[in-house]
Amino acid sequence: MAEVRPDEISAILRKQLSGFESEVDIYDVGTVLQIGDGIARVYGLSKVMATELVEFPNDVIGMVLNLDEDSVGCVLFGESSLVKEGDTVKRTKRVASIPVGKELLGRVVNPLGKPIDGKGAVNTDKFLPIERKALGVIQRQPVKEPVQTGIAAIDAMIPIGRGQRELIIGDRQTGKTAVAIDAIINQKYTHTEEAKSLGIKPVYCVYVAIGQKSSTVAQVVAKLQEHGAMEFTTVVVASAWEPAPLQYIAPYSGATLGEYFRDNGMHSLVIYDDLSKQAAAYRELSLLLRRPPGREAYPGDVFYLHSRLLERASKLSDDLGGGSLTALPIIETQQGDVSAYIPTNVISITDGQIYLESSLFNSGVRPAINVGISVSRVGGNAQIKAMKKVAGSLKLDLAQYRELEAFAKFGSDLDQSTLKTLNKGARLVELLKQDQYAPIPVERQIVSIFLGTKGYMDSIPVADVKRFEKEALEFFEVKHKDIFETLRKEKDISKQLDEKISNAANEFLKVFKKTV
Amino acid sequence: MADSRILHRYATSLLETSLEKNNLEVVTSDIQLLVETLNQSRELQSMLESPVVRPELKLNILKEIFSKKISKDSMDFVEFVISKNRESLLNTIGKRFLELRDDHLGIANVFVTCATEFSNEQKNVLQGRLEKILDKKVRLNFKTDLNLVGGFIAKVNDTLYDASIRHQLELLRKQFLTGEISLN
Repeated sequence: MAEVRPDEISAILRKQLSGFESEVDIYDVGTVLQIGDGIARVYGLSKVMATELVEFPNDVIGMVLNLDEDSVGCVLFGESSLVKEGDTVKRTKRVASIPVGKELLGRVVNPLGKPIDGKGAVNTDKFLPIERKALGVIQRQPVKEPVQTGIAAIDAMIPIGRGQRELIIGDRQTGKTAVAIDAIINQKYTHTEEAKSLGIKPVYCVYVAIGQKSSTVAQVVAKLQEHGAMEFTTVVVASAWEPAPLQYIAPYSGATLGEYFRDNGMHSLVIYDDLSKQAAAYRELSLLLRRPPGREAYPGDVFYLHSRLLERASKLSDDLGGGSLTALPIIETQQGDVSAYIPTNVISITDGQIYLESSLFNSGVRPAINVGISVSRVGGNAQIKAMKKVAGSLKLDLAQYRELEAFAKFGSDLDQSTLKTLNKGARLVELLKQDQYAPIPVERQIVSIFLGTKGYMDSIPVADVKRFEKEALEFFEVKHKDIFETLRKEKDISKQLDEKISNAANEFLKVFKKTV
Repeated sequence: MADSRILHRYATSLLETSLEKNNLEVVTSDIQLLVETLNQSRELQSMLESPVVRPELKLNILKEIFSKKISKDSMDFVEFVISKNRESLLNTIGKRFLELRDDHLGIANVFVTCATEFSNEQKNVLQGRLEKILDKKVRLNFKTDLNLVGGFIAKVNDTLYDASIRHQLELLRKQFLTGEISLN
């Protein structure tokens, strides 16, 4: 602790207190009529705005949500036991807002922008309201650049473009957060000099944790730090123990942070983990505010809750700087039921979804993506040409494999061509398995998928596929480094390159076969 | 709070009738008397609120108390309110009526809380200033509260004009908390 001398204090007090007489502060007030369950009904505050922040005694902050005829309904962001009936409420004339800017990168903040990582105050004077209007048609353009997640199955078959909204949906314990965290870690590449020389612009990330255990969030932050991803990431936290209003506004705060980058010609990736908990928090809030319940007791505007959030994801037109905000919302389903209220809502809002299944997860397919029903409606435009070429046959092969999978039991009774399809499919599924926190650069993904779809692995036992991939990539790296470089630069597979890869693959296959 | 709409309707109709009949001043003083009496006598108020006492009896009691002291129009209004079974709201309707009347005449009710009693001269200065700011006639209501430490607070509707030392100290505390003032 720094020492504080009493004479210093009195000097400051004297300085501050001079000019005392002239100051008359004018502000609007109301009186608390009723308080409880984190909701206050306030009489007065006649000119207050919706979503305006108000000040209760003991530094408790609240937000106005209901403007009724005779009273105002506020939600509290702090302890409701610190507020009593009859207390005075002050207007702040500020709608709920959050500090934005690059100063927030590497920080962990609460939904009101207050740092909670113990690294001191955030030095920024830029504030933006947390509820902002989504952009119109004129300001946007279709997505055209990819967000590489580093997960081969996603980048090849369910590609995500900058400015897209792609839902990650699945039961508990299927690796939803893992997909999102891998996507953040993979953005590290976009911040390198090499990416800059290739014209890939950096992607800044925001991870919004809603209603999770604080320990889980701490783990995520530690992982991001370990992989050097915290430098370009802001984590917004409203843990499970925090009042429902904070959990409700957290995604909007995250979107505002991302919008700062988008509006300044930069790119951002925002992850909302997860929106089902936010909907539950909003349900709690709405019921306490006595708004009428609807299906599954959610209020009538629960669709609007998510649509206005996800509509803020966008790719700006070139006139406005061409920035983008990519949103990866996460929804947790119960027992794989995607036809529940919230999942169907969010599925219909987003531009595609990534299904994660616990049966796949348990049978060892990780990431447990069901590529059959996962789609990306717009991401294809953003995929690089080389990936498009190899991914086309990958999709086809896997689709055929799924169709015949049921016959796999019959073993040798099958005809040759069916057996061939089954063999290849099993190897491709094996190839798409990937460890957590190990994102693969796109050129390596392309080469491995090339090897898989062109049948170089067909003669190798399924158990050796992963080893084959690893060693093949090492071989390419050492002996044919130019292939990766050409792929990075030209982003396409020309005839010559196709031949080159084939030759190298044949060369490697000969060596590898001796080790099997 | 659903009551407030009811209050508003009764009070507005009383104001409008008295404006039509041109007897606003008489009605105002009648209602003032009524409100004061009800405020002073808890028994009378609880009698009006009690569902056990029959409305006719309530009317008779009120007639006995007020008929000689207030005008016929005001008494008719009281009778009307009772006939509609709203007698428990009589007090608040009266208060609302007085507020609406002040609004109509452009008078602002200002509640001044001060640490020490103001001298008459100070009161006049304050009234003059407030009338200039609000562009209305101002009626001052004074109250002292030692918690303010010094200075005063003037409350007009929901707006506070806060020139108290307590508020200044609170602001100072906040500046310390947010680190706007550093000690080194």
